[in-house]
Amino acid sequence: MSAVWSVSRAAVRRRRLQTIVIGVVVALSTTMIVVALGLLAASSAPFDQAYARQSGAHLVASYDRNKVSDEQLTNAAKAAAAVAGPFGTKTLDFGNGLSVVAVGRADAGGPVDRLNVWKGRWPDKPGEIVLNRNPVSAGGRGDIAVGSKLSEPGGPTLIVVGLAYSVSESAGAWVTPAQMAAFKPTSTQMLYRFAQAATGEQITSGQAAVTAGLPSGSLLGAQSYLTLRAAAVGEPNTFVPFLMVFGWLGLIVAVLIVANVVSGAVVAGFRHIGVLKALGFTPTQVLSVYLAMTSIPAIVGCALGTVAGNVLAESLLTRAFENYGAGGVGVPAWVDVAAMLGVPLLVALSAFLPALRARGLSAAQAISAGSAPRAGRGLQAQRWLSGTRLPRSVSLGLGLPFARPARTALTLAAVVLGVTSVTLAVGLGKSLTTYQTAASRAGAVDVTFSAGTAEAGPGPVPEGADAPPAAKLSDPADEALMRSTAGAQYVTPSADLPMRLGGTSQDLRVAFYRGDPTHVGFRVLEGKWFDGPGQVVVSERFLRQRGLSVGDTITLQTGGKSTPVRIVGKALYNSGDEVLSNWETLALIAPNTRAQTYEVQLKPGTDIDAYVKAVQAGDSGLVETPGQDAGTFVAIVLATVVLLTLMLGTVAALGVFNTVVLNTRERRRDLGMLKSIGMTPAQVMVMVVTSMAALGAIGGLLGIPLGIIAHRLVIPAMANGAQVEIPAFMLDVYPLPLLAIFVLAGILIAALGAFIPARSAARTTIAEVLHNE
Amino acid sequence: MTNGQAVVQLSNVRKEYGESVALDGVSLEIHAGEAVAVMGPSGSGKSTLLSMVAGLDRPTSGSVVVHGEDLGKLDEKGLALYRRRRIGMIFQFFNLLDDLSALDNVALAAQLTGTSASPARKRALELFEELGIADRRNIYPAQLSGGERQRVAVARALMNRPAVLLADEPTGALDTRAGEQVMDLLLDLNQIGQTLLLVTHDQQLATRCASRLVEVVDGQIAGERTLERTA
Ligand SMILES: Nc1ncnc2c1ncn2[C@@H]1O[C@H](COP(=O)(O)OP(=O)(O)OP(=O)(O)O)[C@@H](O)[C@H]1O
Ligand SMILES: [Mg+2]
Repeated sequence: MSAVWSVSRAAVRRRRLQTIVIGVVVALSTTMIVVALGLLAASSAPFDQAYARQSGAHLVASYDRNKVSDEQLTNAAKAAAAVAGPFGTKTLDFGNGLSVVAVGRADAGGPVDRLNVWKGRWPDKPGEIVLNRNPVSAGGRGDIAVGSKLSEPGGPTLIVVGLAYSVSESAGAWVTPAQMAAFKPTSTQMLYRFAQAATGEQITSGQAAVTAGLPSGSLLGAQSYLTLRAAAVGEPNTFVPFLMVFGWLGLIVAVLIVANVVSGAVVAGFRHIGVLKALGFTPTQVLSVYLAMTSIPAIVGCALGTVAGNVLAESLLTRAFENYGAGGVGVPAWVDVAAMLGVPLLVALSAFLPALRARGLSAAQAISAGSAPRAGRGLQAQRWLSGTRLPRSVSLGLGLPFARPARTALTLAAVVLGVTSVTLAVGLGKSLTTYQTAASRAGAVDVTFSAGTAEAGPGPVPEGADAPPAAKLSDPADEALMRSTAGAQYVTPSADLPMRLGGTSQDLRVAFYRGDPTHVGFRVLEGKWFDGPGQVVVSERFLRQRGLSVGDTITLQTGGKSTPVRIVGKALYNSGDEVLSNWETLALIAPNTRAQTYEVQLKPGTDIDAYVKAVQAGDSGLVETPGQDAGTFVAIVLATVVLLTLMLGTVAALGVFNTVVLNTRERRRDLGMLKSIGMTPAQVMVMVVTSMAALGAIGGLLGIPLGIIAHRLVIPAMANGAQVEIPAFMLDVYPLPLLAIFVLAGILIAALGAFIPARSAARTTIAEVLHNE
Repeated sequence: MTNGQAVVQLSNVRKEYGESVALDGVSLEIHAGEAVAVMGPSGSGKSTLLSMVAGLDRPTSGSVVVHGEDLGKLDEKGLALYRRRRIGMIFQFFNLLDDLSALDNVALAAQLTGTSASPARKRALELFEELGIADRRNIYPAQLSGGERQRVAVARALMNRPAVLLADEPTGALDTRAGEQVMDLLLDLNQIGQTLLLVTHDQQLATRCASRLVEVVDGQIAGERTLERTA
């Protein structure tokens, strides 16, 4: 092997440019592949993964301390696969509408419901408290900061020492068990994980098992994680397919470029191969030389790319997963293994095919192939071009791509795919933002007030919806207050009721709007808004999941009461478990319910903080709740798309660069000859850059329609898979000037890739060229 | 010097490239220690003939036997081993490997036969000294002059003590003086017993180095004569 090794090592060391190009392309491609696969793998079930990682509770239960002892609970809990608790629990009321369900817990770890303490630290002595906050949505206006002091009227002062997140939403805050004991807890919390927890039935039977033998009436409330899951999975699932498309595009482009670079190295090495053969290298030895020559930089590039891909994917994933409150998220090991094995294999394969061709070539032919790059091909194109009125350097340049049709085709394919993905990326980005804006109702609702016990949200609330509202004024008085406060444009009150779809065990959340529902930003895609009692509007996903359509009648149940309602319209929003209705319908179901939520749209230019303060001055019990999610996940998807597009563009430009390097190197003698008959360096540059700009233009012209077609196919198909409807207006995202910019981008990518090698070709002196031939 | 056994034996060799016939029924014997020059017009098939002997390509029909080995019976690997051990080749355009220094280019030939790097370099250096290019050993081919490159190529061809040294226009790319140096080198080699097959346009090279002259026209042997060397 020593002769093979000497030759390969010398080639790697001496052909620095080729070695670097292979290394860089492989590194970038590997990065792209790792990011894409990592995102695909992780985003396929983000909620489940986050839940599994944090050992989220399958069931959060709350028991009456007066009816059941900790010991009884611990004994009964033996039926669960894992258990945390018993923990003392008490609702703490800090005034100003801020009341939280606090749990006494010694640490953030444990077998169930591991908490992500993402800011500050866990309390270690009485007088300290940690609040439950989602790392992503926390930090809005008026949110409580670490270091703040809270106290119940007449109670001890608690310092907020940290913020933690529970994927199980098991509590609003945590204190040390000693502090909880001092508070005299009213109920006991138990957190369970079951061996079988995929369906509602399994959770129900799990619950039956862990409560068997307990005194009757001791269970105050229980919350299944399936409810959280249903609420959480909607949005990300919508975007997984988009990531998928990009993952695959990145993969294909990477494969094309790597194949082009590597096979180019082999083709350019024909004379080299011929010499090796004449010296007595066996075909296998020649193959080994070429495999080693390309594999050395490829393996280094692959290793670097895997590391970079992990770092990048990890930061993207961690951001994406913050939604679920999970800590650091990594790329699954199989992705790294696949990249580390797959990419070198791919490189070897793309070196192998042309090397096999070289192997079949007789040594005599291989040697002459080096000194005379196959003429003949492209002669006709060249002859035709020379008849045109173009400057000779331009027409010569335009003829260059025809001399190496296979290489030109691979380069073109990479440029086309590059432009396709840029087009698709921009289109996806625009459609996604439009969709997100519409679906999130951003812009329609500026401020949302809650009259309920806002902080009691997390964890089972024994008192349920019957709890007295925190608001001090009556419902009509609150509405009037908000309307009369300066800056208000529209105020839409609503009440939410948990209900059940008749004939099923499916839980729904029904929002009943009072007054004109058009001001809260929902877009009706089919049918109309409700205009009388017994009418509802639902989402596409709601209809799909139940096989219903607009015009059908469904039954809503609550507290043993059934009310038939008719679906009169379909609106644009993601949730499949939310139903919109009106106050007249609420009157049929639960008359005398007060509105808990007020969605306010302000006049343009109004100071939101001032408005909120003015309203709270009128009723201190009203709490501002976080408005519509600005779409963190969309932001991450967009960031990913931009990143992948940039990398695709870079790799495509490198592909062009490589092709030009190979072409000019092969044509060195021609270039020397052209210069010797009087071509200026500038003309040589024009010729070489023209050859690639033409490819760029063709790439742009082919890539754009492909990108648009892909966008047209991908978005509806993916929307379909995600059970949302994307209205047609969201597909029209390509104005003509934008398309012109894309064509220019294609030309620019190609010209940039061609520039450096063209310049160096223009600068080589004739003597140097002729000396070496 | 026409006695001794036949080292190269071509029988009725025909070579076609698609439609065109490059060699048409060529039979030729070369004996140990002979120096045969092949001459003829451009495109007559001289380089093709050399490729057949070198095992760089296979005849369409006919047989080539060198040093008792029938090349037709060898597979690709067998041919490679044959080239490695039995022949040395010199080209008009040198065909050195640009990535390796002059010395490593030469040492490579020995490394191929299993010699490890340092003895291979030692033997290469001996050849460099004999050929008067020892001071150029660490230079890469691109920086060598044509004559120096050809001498490196000769050293490489001699590395494995080949049964036949094949040369295709060895002086074709060189000026008169460099050409003469290479000629002298070949003559010296032949005089110490190296069998030589030489393709050339150069009458002077032929008459000076060769003991026999073969004329090829249109792929056929048109004439043969033994020469009285002028040198
Ligand atoms: N690889 C090849 N493919 C097709 N035809 C070839 C090939 N090699 C040689 N030929 C043809 O075979 C014929 C003989 O070529 P060859 O190279 O042997 O000529 P030559 O005598 O060496 O010429 P010159 O003196 O110009 O070098 C020519 O017509 C040539 O075109
Ligand atoms: Mg010839």
